[in-house]
Amino acid sequence: MIRQPISGSWRAGLGLASILLVMLLYTALASSRQRTARREQQEVAQTRLSELEEQRVDLQRDLETARAETDQTSRERGVEQAESGLQRNAEETEKFEALRDQPTKVDRTVPSWSMLLQDGLIRACTPQGAFERKEIWLVEDFKATGLRLLTSLLVGILCSVVIGLLMGCLDPVDAFLMPPFTFFSKVPATAVLPIFFVVIQINFSMYVAIIVFGMLPSLAQAISASVRKDVPEELIFKAYTLGASQFELIADVIFKKVLPRILDAARLQIGPALVLLVAAEWMVAGEGIGYRLRLFYQRTDMTVVFVYVFLLGVIGLVVDYALIWARRKLCPWFGE
Amino acid sequence: MNADSSSPAKQPSPTAENGQPDIVLECQQVSHWFGDNKVLNNVNLRIARGQIVALVGPSGSGKSTLLRAILGTHPPKSGQVVMDGAPYRKPHRDRGIVYQRYSLFPFLTAEENVAFGPMLDQTSIPFRVFQFPKWRAQRADQLRQAGELLDQVGLGHAKRKYPSELSGGMCQRVAIAQALIMRPKLLLLDEPFGALDESTRESLQLMLLHLYQENIDARAKHQPEPHTILIVTHELNEALYVSDRILGLSQYHQGGSEGATIVYDKPAPIFQPHEERDHVRFNQQKEMLLKSVFSDEFIQHHSEFVSFWSEVASERQQLSH
Ligand SMILES: Nc1ncnc2c1ncn2[C@@H]1O[C@H](COP(=O)(O)OP(=O)(O)OP(=O)(O)O)[C@@H](O)[C@H]1O
Ligand SMILES: [Mg+2]
Repeated sequence: MIRQPISGSWRAGLGLASILLVMLLYTALASSRQRTARREQQEVAQTRLSELEEQRVDLQRDLETARAETDQTSRERGVEQAESGLQRNAEETEKFEALRDQPTKVDRTVPSWSMLLQDGLIRACTPQGAFERKEIWLVEDFKATGLRLLTSLLVGILCSVVIGLLMGCLDPVDAFLMPPFTFFSKVPATAVLPIFFVVIQINFSMYVAIIVFGMLPSLAQAISASVRKDVPEELIFKAYTLGASQFELIADVIFKKVLPRILDAARLQIGPALVLLVAAEWMVAGEGIGYRLRLFYQRTDMTVVFVYVFLLGVIGLVVDYALIWARRKLCPWFGE
Repeated sequence: MNADSSSPAKQPSPTAENGQPDIVLECQQVSHWFGDNKVLNNVNLRIARGQIVALVGPSGSGKSTLLRAILGTHPPKSGQVVMDGAPYRKPHRDRGIVYQRYSLFPFLTAEENVAFGPMLDQTSIPFRVFQFPKWRAQRADQLRQAGELLDQVGLGHAKRKYPSELSGGMCQRVAIAQALIMRPKLLLLDEPFGALDESTRESLQLMLLHLYQENIDARAKHQPEPHTILIVTHELNEALYVSDRILGLSQYHQGGSEGATIVYDKPAPIFQPHEERDHVRFNQQKEMLLKSVFSDEFIQHHSEFVSFWSEVASERQQLSH
């Protein structure tokens, strides 16, 4: 059994089963949540109904005592009062009976599938807003966040590659940058967010700075370690005997040798970068995925939240596979 | 001691046209040590153009250290290495190397590996970037040359394969082609076939014999010999088979506590590629090698085995008479 491979159809079947199981569990959770919400409403209505019943009995008694009154003026006033009270009581009773028999409460903490579609996906995909300029949340949010993420990944990876290669190739650079990099790679980047908010104001370049700060130390270190570990000195000597210059050695030998490692290390940095970005947006942004999540969190409305979470997962998967594909294309020699 | 002298073409002739040996490489009093570990002790060595020299010696005697000093990647701590009259302390495109492992760039195909030297040697990054069309034309030419060389070493079918897709023997063939395309003044091989099985090894030895044959052909046409090779090997049969001169590097000499030096330097029998490999012809010299290089029997008299140049000189005298 241990490390015993299974057939492809078994594998696919088990994978499908686990997806179905997750969906089933969600459905059960959602419907139980909706049922609980209804039951709560029924209970509230029931309590109110019994209060109303007591009130009605009291009013009835009041009416009878009022009728028995001898003084005409006070008798008429008492009867009128009691009767109008009874009428209001009857109206209210009717309303709560309707609520008890057909509860209408909707709960958005664990939305049902139809709510996810109607209030989540469709709402996020159609223009929304009270003003002339309506916007499609999904487009606006993913555009804003995507632009921030792409720019900062580009800047971050580029800087890390240059610095990492230099650190791996030149001992002085390594000696100079190692201490701060080792330190900052241990600092949780989320803890540094307030400093960024205050020091660089809240604008586009702040998000880029945050992500670059979060990925640069560890990515540059990973690349430098790979330069030291994965490039045998024989290859370097060999390149010299073939007439390579220092720059050619870095660009044509060392860079190409560690490229698959760079791609893999960069791929692993995308997740943390997104975490950091959504967290920063949650705190201060006026647009973007984090901002929208915060808005709906404040309304305890998870419909749009679930849709966004799902889409983020899908995008993560797509990006991951795209990078693996890129590595296969760029470094066919590397194998799996 | 020397092999049959029946065929004049087989005679080692480390002499230039004017009768003086055409020395490509000279080690002058080369010594090297790692901390307290004294490895090389006053190694003196001259290699003439066209020679194929085998370097043998006990494990740890410093063969690789000497090779690295000659290559220039690890210059000796004392003494100097001279190529064509100029001392040097750096690797250079004139000195090629084939290591036992990691000789090929894994991210290049066989063909690209062979063409890599011409690319690095003849062009620069700015040229390749800013004069891309010109570079492409030149690149096509280099790849064609590389392809031809691969055809010659019998790997025409594997041009587009990556080193990870090649067998160990194929890799070493590519590595030799990669070094040869540079036409180095001296080609260094450090146990190039050490990790290969016996039959692969033999076919690669044959390849070296073909290189030697090219030398002989050039000599017959009064052209400079194209290949000068120094090969380190721990296999004595191999050393005797592929080389025309054998060097023994060993600590078994009088100053042995100060490190190893050349204790054996004699001509080796010469074979032609099609000739039967006749081990009997090896045996006498092999025994001598075992005694003088691998054991301490001749510590006092090792200098009598360092006789290559005097043998060459006396031979030349005989010829002129
Ligand atoms: N980089 C190094 N640092 C310290 N000592 C070294 C280093 N390289 C080699 N040595 C030592 O130098 C001595 C000679 O090593 P070398 O590799 O030249 O031997 P070798 O003749 O090539 O041996 P082998 O036949 O096993 O390859 C050995 O004792 C080795 O321990
Ligand atoms: Mg060695």
